[in-house]
Amino acid sequence: MKNSADCVYMEKINKIRVSSSTKNLAKLRNFIEKNAIDSGIDDSTINQIIMSVDEACTNIIKHAHKFNENETIDVETKSDKGQFKIILMYKGKGFDPNDLSSPDMKEYFNNFKVGGLGVPIMKKFMNKIEYVRLNSDKNFLTLIKYL
Amino acid sequence: MEDFSIKNRELQGIDILYLDGFLDAHTSVELEKALDNLISNDKYKIVVNFENLTYISSAGLGVFMAFIETARNNSGDIKLCSMSEKIYNIFDMLGFPILFEIYKEENSAIEKFS
Repeated sequence: MKNSADCVYMEKINKIRVSSSTKNLAKLRNFIEKNAIDSGIDDSTINQIIMSVDEACTNIIKHAHKFNENETIDVETKSDKGQFKIILMYKGKGFDPNDLSSPDMKEYFNNFKVGGLGVPIMKKFMNKIEYVRLNSDKNFLTLIKYL
Repeated sequence: MEDFSIKNRELQGIDILYLDGFLDAHTSVELEKALDNLISNDKYKIVVNFENLTYISSAGLGVFMAFIETARNNSGDIKLCSMSEKIYNIFDMLGFPILFEIYKEENSAIEKFS
């Protein structure tokens, strides 16, 4: 079992829990930035990851928790096997970003639309997005960037 | 250090907003208030200077979308200027230059109103 033991040793996991408030977005961005730097990721990629996490957490705060600061978001980063993963765990109404198609931006601008760009940004910047709902009230959203 | 702040300068009927810090779902409320205040006072010629803005999320982008139509319907505009490459890339990636005039220099944005 040497290989699996090696994998456990190599994998870097970091966690943070914040109350579900837009006030904590800056704290979350700093957490992601620090862990991405520690994983040797370049600046441009770090910016893409930070923005994707910001957009995902903003959606959770707004839509899943409806700005209820008593709710929490658990954020975990994992860097392993050429991938940087961010796992967001939260309760409440779940949502799979993969179910949402990206807007036609020409139509978007012609109609002066507002909002709805968070998911397109996440999809543009991340290589893969996985969503799992467990026990009917626990959501796991994983954003994956290939390094 | 403040998370986000806005300074306002008026020059020959044009209002210039100077953004400082980061613009996310929390701080974008301040920008919304500032633009709402201008529009409510019939000030439709607006330049937004991004020189000291370090970060923008879709919440910040949405604020400009919310006011651009009203400004243009009243013979005004919201022109953007002095973005870092990092900030410009976000606007560009989403196609914002289709709708918004974005200038490298503040003077160029101001001159376009005359």
